[in-house]
Amino acid sequence: MPRTSRFEGRLLIAPLTAFLIALLGFPLVLDIIYSVSRVGFENIRAPELIGFSNYAKAMADPEFWAAAWFSLRFGLIVAVIQVVAGLGLAVFLAPLFAKRPWLIALLMLPMMVAPALVGLMYRLILHEFVGAVPYYLLEWYGDFPAFLGRDWAFTTLVTIETLQWTPFALLILHSSYAAVSPDIREAASLDGARGRRLFVNIDLPLMMPAIGITFFLRFIDSFRVFDNLYTLVGPGAGGSTTSMSIYIYQAFFKVGDIGLAVAASMLLLAASFVVLWVINGLTARKAPL
Amino acid sequence: MRKSLVNALRWLVFVAAVIVLNFPVIATLVTSLKSEAEIMTNASLIIEAPTLDNYVAVFAMADRFDILHFLTNSLVASLIGSVLAIFLAFPAAYAMARFGVGRSWLLPLAVNLRAVPLIIFAIPIYLMYQQVGLLDTRFGLALILCLVNVPLVLVLFASSIADLPLEIEEAGRVDGAGTLRLLVYVVAPMSLNVVAASSVLAFIYSWNEFLFGLMLTTNNATPVSVGASFFFAASGGGVRWGVAAAVMILATLPPLVLGLLMYRQIGRSMTAGAVKG
Repeated sequence: MPRTSRFEGRLLIAPLTAFLIALLGFPLVLDIIYSVSRVGFENIRAPELIGFSNYAKAMADPEFWAAAWFSLRFGLIVAVIQVVAGLGLAVFLAPLFAKRPWLIALLMLPMMVAPALVGLMYRLILHEFVGAVPYYLLEWYGDFPAFLGRDWAFTTLVTIETLQWTPFALLILHSSYAAVSPDIREAASLDGARGRRLFVNIDLPLMMPAIGITFFLRFIDSFRVFDNLYTLVGPGAGGSTTSMSIYIYQAFFKVGDIGLAVAASMLLLAASFVVLWVINGLTARKAPL
Repeated sequence: MRKSLVNALRWLVFVAAVIVLNFPVIATLVTSLKSEAEIMTNASLIIEAPTLDNYVAVFAMADRFDILHFLTNSLVASLIGSVLAIFLAFPAAYAMARFGVGRSWLLPLAVNLRAVPLIIFAIPIYLMYQQVGLLDTRFGLALILCLVNVPLVLVLFASSIADLPLEIEEAGRVDGAGTLRLLVYVVAPMSLNVVAASSVLAFIYSWNEFLFGLMLTTNNATPVSVGASFFFAASGGGVRWGVAAAVMILATLPPLVLGLLMYRQIGRSMTAGAVKG
């Protein structure tokens, strides 16, 4: 590589690099410093180093672990349902999309709505007097549960998240299914494979990388859930719907404990590195799509 | 015979999926078209006497809840955020694809950044903004929206530029064009499709962003995703549901219309972003 083009290349990535240093690098350094300091709004420029007691405080807080458990469980359940539902729809509806590609636009619409607004919309839809869902449940079954009460909040939130983001799984898996070469399918059907066997033995293995990617992307997004949860229930009855993101937000804005909030942030960062490490390990072994 | 039966079943499933998945928007739209009195007596999806009163009411209450202010904030911050993301990512993606500069760290960083919950950076950014006076400004919000979108845009550009034919650029070099000229007059025009597709997606994601809008703004720069929730907080127990529904529909309309018009580009970007990442 000639010296000049190397220099030009550096010049071209310089603006982005500077931007990332200012808005990611610097905040990360602050995160690290504040997480080992006693700090409040009054000594924000001169934090007092105190070692790892903020981390110890976060790790000793049962609410922290409840939030971590909530996020993990929420992310896993939602991702599994979305992949299964998305895969089912993608394969079953494939003949419709093949003839009329625009039909998929109607199924992509939920992704265009802000999750925060979806949360607000459900305040209306689930409202016991004016909501459409309680109205029809009452009409058809004569009863409806307290959707946002302690017993039902988790199920309600899983349903809401699933309904909004199954379209993502559907979209990715549809394009992966459509990309399976007709030749392979034809060859397999000449060998006598039909229907379910054709799907299980030919399509499914070929779609496996896409299924894995979809699962991880959905898991990551749902694990850090904040918007719809915040606008619909907040931390919920007795903190029963506190996700990791909500926990950090509360520690900072409601409790004003900067050290604790930042230490929890760093623990979340460590957790996401573990997830990334697992993903990279898995995808490196698989053939690229 | 059996084939047409299966086909009918497919249509049935499709229609059911459209209704169930879009139910929040459908139900909110229906409510926004009912009068306040009807909302209290009729919670079904059938409107007895359709009216636009709620929409009129939203714009008439600008002194207490100024929706045009929130919509403008969202529009300005999202536009700046998406355009800035493109201007930062495009040259960087070119440098990675053609000179190999930064490919070993910038691209993995961008890809992995999408897996990191951004709330981790929210608190120090808040404290930084407080020090430099960027709290509650549209530009401050736009910078964050840019940060949210840069990873996706960079991944999309990097893969699309790598796919462009090298010969045209080489011909340009032979004719004496420098890198900057090539970038502006050759590479950018050939990448218009990706630029359009990724800017639409970046705009929608920016419009829908909530966490940073909530933390970094109080009123002057509050985006509509946050402003809409103010409406509920402001009205306390006695929410005017019809007006609230109209607010939510107005806040949702811009990305929804964009999504319908550009579903093909959005779909392609989302798929490429997922698979190339």
